Amino acid sequence: MRWTIPEYLLRPWRTIAGPSRYLSLGFLTLGGFAAGVMFWGGFNTVLEATNTEKFCTGCHEMRDNVYEELKTTIHFTNRSGVRATCPDCHVPHNWTNKIARKMQASKEVWGKIFGTIDTRDKFVAMRRELAEHEWARLKANNSLECRNCHSAESMDITKQGARASRIHQQFLFTGQRTCIDCHKGIAHRLPDMNGVPPGWSEAANETDEPVRSWLAERPTGVANPHASP
Amino acid sequence: MLDRRDFIKAQAVAAAAAAGGVSLPAMAQTSMIAGEDAQLKWSKAPCRFCGTGCGVMVATKDNRVVATHGDMQAEVNRGLNCVKGYFLSKIMYGQDRLTQPLLRMKDGKYHKDGEFLPVTWDQAFDEMARQWKRVLKDKGPDAVGMFGSGQWTIWEGYAASKLMRAGFRTNNLDPNARHCMASAAVAFIRTFGMDEPMGCYDDFEHADAFVLWGSNMAEMHPILWTRISDRRLAHNHVKIAVLSTFEHRSFELADIPMIFEPGTDLAILNFIANHIIKTGRVNREFVEKHCSFRLGQKDIGYGLRPENVLEVRAANAKDPTDSKPMSFDEFATFVSDYTVDKVAELSKVPKERLLALAELYADPKTKVMSLWTMGFNQHVRGVWVNHMVYNIHLLTGKISEPGNSPFSLTGQPSACGTAREVGTFAHRLPADMQVNNPVHRSHVEEGWKIPKGLLPGKIGYHAVLMDRMLKDGKLNAFWIMVNNNLQAAPNTNTETYPGYRNPDNFIVVSDAYPTVTASAADLILPAAMWVEKEGAYGNAERRTHFWHQLVTAPGEARSDLWQLMEFSKRFTTDEVWPKEILDTNPEFRGKTLFDVLYRNGNVDRFPLSEIDPEYENRESKAFGFYVQKGLFEEYASFGRGHGHDLAPFDRYHQERGLRWPVVDGKETRWRYREGYDPFVKEGEGVKFYGNPDGKANVFAFPYEPPAESPDKDFDLWLVTGRVLEHWHSGSMTMRVPELYKAMPMAMVFMHPDDAKDRGLRRGSEVKVVSRRGEIHTRVETRGRNRPPRGVVFVPWFDSARLINKVTLDATDPISKQTDFKKCAVKIVAA
Amino acid sequence: MPRHLLIALAAALPCLVPALLSAQNSGPARLDSPFRPPVNFTDETTAPPIPADVTDDRRVARNYPEQPPVIPHNVRDYQITLNNNQCLTCHSRQYTGASQAPMISITHYVNRDGQTLGAVSPRRYFCMQCHVPQTVAQPIVTNTFKDVDSMISRPSDGGDRR
Repeated sequence: MRWTIPEYLLRPWRTIAGPSRYLSLGFLTLGGFAAGVMFWGGFNTVLEATNTEKFCTGCHEMRDNVYEELKTTIHFTNRSGVRATCPDCHVPHNWTNKIARKMQASKEVWGKIFGTIDTRDKFVAMRRELAEHEWARLKANNSLECRNCHSAESMDITKQGARASRIHQQFLFTGQRTCIDCHKGIAHRLPDMNGVPPGWSEAANETDEPVRSWLAERPTGVANPHASP
Repeated sequence: MLDRRDFIKAQAVAAAAAAGGVSLPAMAQTSMIAGEDAQLKWSKAPCRFCGTGCGVMVATKDNRVVATHGDMQAEVNRGLNCVKGYFLSKIMYGQDRLTQPLLRMKDGKYHKDGEFLPVTWDQAFDEMARQWKRVLKDKGPDAVGMFGSGQWTIWEGYAASKLMRAGFRTNNLDPNARHCMASAAVAFIRTFGMDEPMGCYDDFEHADAFVLWGSNMAEMHPILWTRISDRRLAHNHVKIAVLSTFEHRSFELADIPMIFEPGTDLAILNFIANHIIKTGRVNREFVEKHCSFRLGQKDIGYGLRPENVLEVRAANAKDPTDSKPMSFDEFATFVSDYTVDKVAELSKVPKERLLALAELYADPKTKVMSLWTMGFNQHVRGVWVNHMVYNIHLLTGKISEPGNSPFSLTGQPSACGTAREVGTFAHRLPADMQVNNPVHRSHVEEGWKIPKGLLPGKIGYHAVLMDRMLKDGKLNAFWIMVNNNLQAAPNTNTETYPGYRNPDNFIVVSDAYPTVTASAADLILPAAMWVEKEGAYGNAERRTHFWHQLVTAPGEARSDLWQLMEFSKRFTTDEVWPKEILDTNPEFRGKTLFDVLYRNGNVDRFPLSEIDPEYENRESKAFGFYVQKGLFEEYASFGRGHGHDLAPFDRYHQERGLRWPVVDGKETRWRYREGYDPFVKEGEGVKFYGNPDGKANVFAFPYEPPAESPDKDFDLWLVTGRVLEHWHSGSMTMRVPELYKAMPMAMVFMHPDDAKDRGLRRGSEVKVVSRRGEIHTRVETRGRNRPPRGVVFVPWFDSARLINKVTLDATDPISKQTDFKKCAVKIVAA
Repeated sequence: MPRHLLIALAAALPCLVPALLSAQNSGPARLDSPFRPPVNFTDETTAPPIPADVTDDRRVARNYPEQPPVIPHNVRDYQITLNNNQCLTCHSRQYTGASQAPMISITHYVNRDGQTLGAVSPRRYFCMQCHVPQTVAQPIVTNTFKDVDSMISRPSDGGDRR
């Protein structure tokens, strides 16, 4: 059988595809621009709206699991009250990466619709995989979202604990390690850490490529954290 | 001369020493200490704290304890201790130890509103005896009472029981174990006809699954938790389910974590029974041979004062213990209401977790150990909920064999050994005998060599009732030993404190430290503690464990045993026994209670020469015979031959404890099963010989709601409990600097969103308010305990923040144990 | 005075005040539980602030060799669960080189039956059952425990006689 396109679909297409018969060029240009502005504005509004903690925690999967775990940690409650919201750590701030992350996020929406993690048990079972995605992403971008707030240059090591200060000098400032190498689980509970050595261990040198990453290819333009000085 | 570097080092050492409470010698030790000087004398003892009963080794030097560590040879803990146990060395050395009797005095004599002044033991006992005699004369034996403890040594509890029941002829004797595991003890007797677990700690190494029902073992029984974590982490198939009304440290090891709505554990247990029946996993043969089914009384009230509306409204508040036989099919119909959907909705536990939990019990291949403590026992339906866990073990036959074990844990070091086995409850006699059973009484009268008919048959006042009777002026002479009831009892502002300060009452407190209870007394007697006396404790797995006196108590402090026996010398039988009894037994006339109770030919049977010459024994020297041995052997005679058998006295000084029944020198690990228990004959397989028909009882009970639930005025559940670092109301642990500094105050643990809704945050000062009282404390939103929304947790170790002013004095109507886990409060900014 | 000492003192003050008051107000005859402010049983007073944690990373001498050392650093959000033991990521043998943290004692490699294992014994897994952090709260009741060294101190017998 041959596929035929029904008439009720063809007619609007012809109207859009054909040249304008009634409207002026000026109207079309300006109107098009205005429509573009509106579309872009709307797009950005949606982008921004989806970039808030309120949106993230609108789903119970996020609210009852990861967000609940965040509440008692230092990134939620601390001396100065400066706190991280979900997108601060999980959505890149520059546009291209942000869009890329948003596209990935559609997978999370897919997961929501189809109940991939609609119970705590399912979430717990997926925890290692979910964490690995984030570790890989942060490893690949040299812990970009950490560094949006925590700049190595601005660290006053005399205000740090002796051990933290030493480790930062040895590993962070030399570029041997990136934040996420040592600070896994800083804002959420850790998954089963079997086979994941701490960032400062010798063994961590060998896990150059993140395990089971679905973001395996490192985006170009992001420095290899192990190569940078 | 010190250079700068040395100076800084010396400063650091001094600061650290001051902070840790270490006193430094005048001259710092720089040379190695060697040879004889470094020799320590090491002796064994059980730990002073919880019911786990860890063995410790205690080092002494020049009459002081200088070190302690876990005993490698002790089966229970094999060299480990928890942080409290590791600091045992310091518990006797709080700077404010009580060293002389203190009596409230004005113008040189006792006055209820007087100031505490030091007196001699003679003065103290003279006044005390005068008060006792006054009360006995005016009101009779019902007006005197004693509140004892699961921290008493076995012989102290036994000597107290003799003094109260046979001496003063009252059963107004109850231990603080009433607050702790009365529900467990009552359910044991009602189910099996005998108290205490059938299994033992060896079950930890055999089980495939562990279910914690309202027990935070990670903090409260840390050493047993090490045995569970050992099993779980070394065996991948092992599963751990943790049930609680809030998240705590035991959840760190949980495969199946469950937070349930307070009180709905009743429904969860009935659901599991229903699941086992519906999926055809009942062990039919076991059930037919070894179980009877009974329908229990429902709507039994909440153990409040009888005029309380909840009691008036309850159909069966006056008769809560009744039950009638039912068939298995009737039982199946009874629990069939408890479907997974219904129970998930009621308990707020996800269905998949309820099913996973039920499968641990239902799967015949999984050996499962159920463990519980205060979450079950401090419950207005504590006896029911204990029965219900036995129900699921009995339906599946998972009982009395390695790894299959319903196991009731205990809080105090001798809750089993003293409070239960010796029988220091208002209704109990030694070896599971009951005061209201004339045959039992007569048996005890023979054993004690006292006149027939002397022992009173009326059940005495239980813990909460004692407080009510003190307040109401019906109990007037009251002796409190080794416990801090003004901190531990419920609803203290309204129901406990008024009784202590009631001008009609004379309150005596024996303790090692000035507790809040001591501060509210009229006479304080300084007590020797732990290794300052020869002692014996019985732990949760039926293990009886002895220790020697290793050091001398400070000042005039004396053991409770000495106090009880010495006080008995101040009364003659003519003063306290009825004339009719003396008329028919004239040989008892004119004798002191000391003579008739402790110089009766049993207790004074063993001479001083039998005492191990390596060790001091103050009480025995004071009385001229080996008192501990005499008391123990008389007591043990009641249990031997019918399943409560204890070994001969001297053997226990050699062993790291033995689990009774000890028959032919061998301890028993699993009771009621052939091959393990010498009282089960060949071919019987399993026999619950505590009951005349040899069967265990399965009871049907419904879910019933708690006494008080949150409403719009008091919108949060209050749960109280303990913390790892403190035990026994903090009276000892708060005096150990390291433990104090680790947990110096009781905070209210709450959910961050509950705090936010009230404009509060971590560190905010708040009032925790109930209909009965309030305390001031600080908010903790991110500590070790993480309550769900709607629940707050406050520990009760802190005498500056007495949370029991807030709690409700509702008890289980059967066991009379208070529910400290469920009442309604509000939290407001202070 | 160094700033952290001042802070420590300030934090400890509310804990100390009730004890001091109690000592001042009570005549020789009065007896109070030292932990309670000097108020009637039925009264309640304000609660002191939650004391800060000791995080100075300075080791504290043990009272006797078998005493578990206290934790001198921050342990906020440390996760010790079925999934992970954050303490061991510094204190277990293989990581102490990089972390420079003290290695857990060899007793921690011995199981219940006295066998030495290749890794930390599972029964020692939950560190904070024995090792506890400390706050800056100052003990209200001092403890007169004497360690063994102070019990056996004696004058030198003259020392080296070479």
